[in-house]
Parts: sequence; structure tokens; C-alpha cells
Amino acid sequence: MVDFSRVQKELQECNRDINVSGISVNPKSDNLTNLIGTIPGPIGTPYEGGTFKIDINLPDGYPFEPPKMKFATKVWHPNISSQSGAICLDILKDQWSPALTLKTALLSIQALLSAPEPDDPQDAVVAQQYLKDYQTFASTARYWTESFAKISSLGVEEKVQKLVEMGFPEGLVRSTLEVVGGDENMALEKLCSA
Amino acid sequence: MSLPGNRTRVLCKFFAHGACLKGEHCEFSHDWKDPANNVCTFYQKGACAYGSRCRYDHVKAGQRQASSSSSPYTYQYPDSDSVSVSVSSPVTGELSATSIPYTSGAWGEGSGQTPLDLLTLNDNGNPADIVMCSFAANGNCPRGETCPHLHGDVCPTCRKQCLHPFRPEEREEHKTGCERKHKHLEALKHSQEIECSVCLERVLSKATAAERKFGLLSECDHPFCISCIRNWRSSSPTSGMDVNSALRSCPICRKLSYFVIPSVIWYASKDEKQEIVDSYKARLRSIDCRHFDFGNGTCPFGTSCFYKHAYRDGRLEEVVLRHLGAEDGQTVIAKDIRLSDFLNRMRIR
Repeated sequence: MVDFSRVQKELQECNRDINVSGISVNPKSDNLTNLIGTIPGPIGTPYEGGTFKIDINLPDGYPFEPPKMKFATKVWHPNISSQSGAICLDILKDQWSPALTLKTALLSIQALLSAPEPDDPQDAVVAQQYLKDYQTFASTARYWTESFAKISSLGVEEKVQKLVEMGFPEGLVRSTLEVVGGDENMALEKLCSA
Repeated sequence: MSLPGNRTRVLCKFFAHGACLKGEHCEFSHDWKDPANNVCTFYQKGACAYGSRCRYDHVKAGQRQASSSSSPYTYQYPDSDSVSVSVSSPVTGELSATSIPYTSGAWGEGSGQTPLDLLTLNDNGNPADIVMCSFAANGNCPRGETCPHLHGDVCPTCRKQCLHPFRPEEREEHKTGCERKHKHLEALKHSQEIECSVCLERVLSKATAAERKFGLLSECDHPFCISCIRNWRSSSPTSGMDVNSALRSCPICRKLSYFVIPSVIWYASKDEKQEIVDSYKARLRSIDCRHFDFGNGTCPFGTSCFYKHAYRDGRLEEVVLRHLGAEDGQTVIAKDIRLSDFLNRMRIR
């Protein structure tokens, strides 16, 4: 059984100093086991300027078991799967401690973004590139941040228009945008794979 | 001896205790200035069952009158060299709390009576027998300065007038007991604020009494509630969590602790922690180990077990240490030879 009173306390605590840390955690549904965390890309890294969404799933044993976290935003990083968003971080696995909170875990992920560990990779391709050709890695990471982690300033109508211009039927575009929550990149991906 | 109706009347015994029902119609004096008749009637007749512990004076009536010409009830202590009875004498340093009010009170200074005279009126030889005012001892005497009974010295901890000036053992006992109680209350007050770092709740505000306890780690000073820390340490090592590096270490500083000590208060100093740990261990040592089972079983904790290892006849377990020599010159001490001893050795190399 998840300790919901603790989760609630954590959410309050985290959202209190949101202006300082930039990290927020919000419930996805109303049962508090599915949450969405957001972290700003660390300054001075290829991820600067991006806002990364992280899917949080609390297991029954929380806080005695680590929360399951993965990136919902696509990110180019040696320790994060470019396909699934899975994160390779010890505190989310065998080094978890019940004194850690969702906020501290997200802070650790933010730190991981600024200090990759290519020797213990999650995504071998990215890690190879990081070690062999750092320039390409950095530009790819920056490009991914630009394309996936920037909150689009466009309104819904403009997004629809943009996608319709690409050649998708308007009805499908509208329904897809609704499904992915207004994210045009995710909508585009979905439309392409459909 | 003066009689009722005479110009000098005898103080009413009941009035002196604050409970004369006759009031103004009493044949005895209700004026504190009048001397009390404290002569033991049984003693006059020849035998008092209370002997030296009698609250009334054991003096012959004639004798009394002779010595009472100037200051009738002044009592001389047996060792009057060290403890003299005048207000200005050194002993009043101890008595100051009680004696000051009397000098400034209703007592006539010209009457020749010192406060101590009156305090010892019903005394028969030992000042330790003087009864203290129980109202003052409990914190508040309604008669205040005019109270005829002995008001004890103020206890520095509880601020009540409950220290008997002439009973040193009782004084010490009260002082140490009072201090301990006070310290416990203080510690409890400080502990109210302490939060468990796992459930993020105040430990002493938790729902059930069983949960309102701290779990102290032996090697570090981070606070947890007993249920949280035990839950964490006993959680099955899922997802490859190592018992020693993760589960048995402090969730905050990751320092390895081998045991958890339950405690209702949170300590403020190292000594206090040690005190809690020691009393916990002492408590466990009085309980028979169920693994050892009076010698019928084997305890996996061996000599490090906190519980009592005794046989049915009360004999304690004797430990014969066995030294296993390793090739590299190191020795391993083993009580029983177990497979783990060899495995441990393998790890050393």
C-alpha cells in the first residue's frame, strides 16, 4: 500500500519552492500513483532551455521501494534510452533509500543530465557517440531538446494548421492532438506511425 | 501551667492545626502569641507508647515551668554547638526559606519567641521528626506566611517547598527523582517536534501508541519512527538491494548500523543516547533468548546476542572461543564451526 499521506506531503513540499528549483510534481490521475514530474534542463548543457517531463509510477511498497521513473520527453543522453525513456540511475534501483523523495530523485535526474556516465550506459548508441564524437553528441542533444523539450508557444489552432499543412486530415489531427495533450511533436509521431 | 480563663491562655491545639470548630467560643486561646500546651499527657502519667517519636513534649510539668520563665519553649538541640537555635545563627541559611516569613509576620518580636521555637514546640528531640506543611509541599499553602507548620526548602527543580531541612536522605531522594522526572519531561517536549525522515510525520503525533516511538540507529543520529525504520530494514531485498549497503544503513547518511533501539524520547546529547541504549540492552539481557532456549537450541547471534543465555538452573552460558587459523596468519574466532566461517575466510583472501 502506497503511503499516500507522505506522497501528499511531498507534493506540497515540492510545489512550495517551485520557483527556486523549477521542479514540479503533479498527479496524472486522481489516485496519486501516477504522477508527472517536470525538470528544467540544466544550464550550460545541451539540455538548457528544455523542460523535461518524467513519468512517475509509485509501486505498492513506496517509499520502501523506489518509484518507477522514465522520461516522457524524448532526450538524447547516454544514460537515458532514446527509445523508451528508461533511466539508468542507481538511486532508482539498488541504491534507493526511503529518505529520498520524488523531488530529490528528480534533482538527481537533473544532475544526471549535466553529468552523464557514459561508462555505465543505458543507450549504447548515444554513449558511443558521447565518447567518440562529443561534438556530434552535443549538437544532437541540443537538437532533440529544441524539438521535443521546448514548450511550444503556438496555440491549438496554429498547431492544427501546421499539421494539416503537412498533409494530415484535420479531424484526425484534432483527435490526435487531444490524445497526446496538445504536444505537436508527439502528435506528429503518432500520426506518422498510424 | 496556665489554665483556661487565666490572663495567659494556652493555644488551642485544634486551632493550631487549622480546624477548631468552636471558633470564638473556644475555651482555649486562638491567638498565635499565646504559648501552646504541648506536654504529652501520657508521659506525665509515666508511659507514652510513642517514646522518642511522640509529637508532644516529654517533659515533667514542674521542670517545664522552671525553664520557661523567660522564653518558655526554647528548645536546645542535643548537639547545640553545631546547630544552635537562634534565627541569626548559621543554620538558618538552610532554613531561610521558612524562617524569613516568620520574622516579618505576626510574631511579636518582644515575645521572645523565635520562629524555630515554635517549629520545634511539639518536638521531642529530633528535628527530623518535624512534620512539614503538606499544602506548601504540594505547591501552595493558603496560609502563607502565617502557617504554623514547617514550610520545607524550595526544590530547585519543581519549585515546591518540599525539601525537609532536617532529613538529608529524603532531600537527596526527592532532588534526584525530581531532576530525573524533569529531564524526561523536557526531553519529551523537545521530541514532539522531531519528524521521521521516511513518513515525514511527527513521530510523537502518530495515530497509535505503538507508532509513537523513535527507532534510534546505533551509529548515526538521524531520526526515524520505529515502524518506518524496522519496515525498511526488514523489507525483502527486491531489485537487487544489498542488505548491508542499503537496507542496514541509515536511509539518510548510509552509515551501517547493526541494530535499532526503540525509545519514546529523542536524545539531545551523546550521553543521553548512551543511557537509552544501555537501559535497552539491560532490559533485553533480563529476557531469556528464545533461540538459545535454555541450552536446547543454538542462537545464531552467539555471544553478540542481546538476550539472556542461561540454562534452566540459572547458570549462564559459558563461551569457549575457538580460533580458526587462516593461512595468512589471521585468526577467525568461531563458537561453532559453521559453513559461514569458511565462506568468511574466503572473502578475506
